[in-house]
Amino acid sequence: MKTFEEKWTAWLDGQLSDKELAEFEASLPDLEAAEAEKRDALRLGAFLKEQLAAQAMSNEEFFSHQLHQRIAHEREDRSRDRGTSTWWTIPRLVWSGAAALALFVITTVVLMSQHQPGEQSEYLTQILNSRVDPAANPNATIYIFESKNDNKVTVLWTEGLQSLPADYAAK
Amino acid sequence: MQLRPLLLAMFFTLAISVASADAEHLVWSGLVIAENVPQPAPIPPELTTLEQTLKDLFGYNQFEVIGQSNKTLKTGEEDWLANSKYFGLHVDARGENDAGYTLNLKLYKENDVLLETDANLSKSSPLVIKGPQVGSGQLLLVLVVKDDEQAHRRRHAEPANPITAGWYRLRRIIHNALP
Repeated sequence: MKTFEEKWTAWLDGQLSDKELAEFEASLPDLEAAEAEKRDALRLGAFLKEQLAAQAMSNEEFFSHQLHQRIAHEREDRSRDRGTSTWWTIPRLVWSGAAALALFVITTVVLMSQHQPGEQSEYLTQILNSRVDPAANPNATIYIFESKNDNKVTVLWTEGLQSLPADYAAK
Repeated sequence: MQLRPLLLAMFFTLAISVASADAEHLVWSGLVIAENVPQPAPIPPELTTLEQTLKDLFGYNQFEVIGQSNKTLKTGEEDWLANSKYFGLHVDARGENDAGYTLNLKLYKENDVLLETDANLSKSSPLVIKGPQVGSGQLLLVLVVKDDEQAHRRRHAEPANPITAGWYRLRRIIHNALP
């Protein structure tokens, strides 16, 4: 057995069957006032539905707006980070070091290969030319050689220079 | 952008090379009288590393420095004198090159030039010149380039290896290429 309120709600919503409708409308003391109330209720329902729908739309838009803003912020931060962050990541450092080392090795090998086998070692002193006064030392001769030990001494050996008295050894 | 690390690494290497290539060197020049005496004096400290070589080469047991000079080469174009009472060794450095320093050497006996020589004095190879007989001894001229003492010893202790040689060559080329 439905209560009056249940029947009233069903009537407002147009959910009563023909028999129930006839019985319910017959039971109303003032049908016209009830119809007016029904119209008001329907109008209110429509208004509320409209408002609630608008409200829901507005929230959705607000949420969407917030989401867009957040995405934009994140993009800005990311691009700012990309601009200021160090380029020297560990893998890049490793590759750079390896590349520099390879460059050095290649250059060294190339330079070493330019060194001719017959060329005098750059670690030895070279005598470019040498001369003695031929008038004072007509029989003078000059030899150049290198010592055989680890000192790598270059020797310019003169023979036939005029001998000098012991006094010349003075400091 | 990929070239940036390479360029930086190269610049860094160049900077180090140039800085180390600019190291100053000290050239010791000495007038030495070599003699055979019954009780030889200890060899002067400047000749300690060459003692055995000098003894083997000339057969004397005493080496006395009668004149000397220590010259620090900054530009490689300095000149200096090592004097004794009667002898003078004038050394005129005419620049740094691949082998070391280009030097013009003149041995004076008072005002006379006894001997003149042009040489490339290597940083790791001393130069010994046998001069005239003086009394019972012999006048020797000795020139030695000294740098960092430890590096000097290391170079003598270890045979030169091709990698090191290549590195020094590269250093010199870079040094010469840059103003």
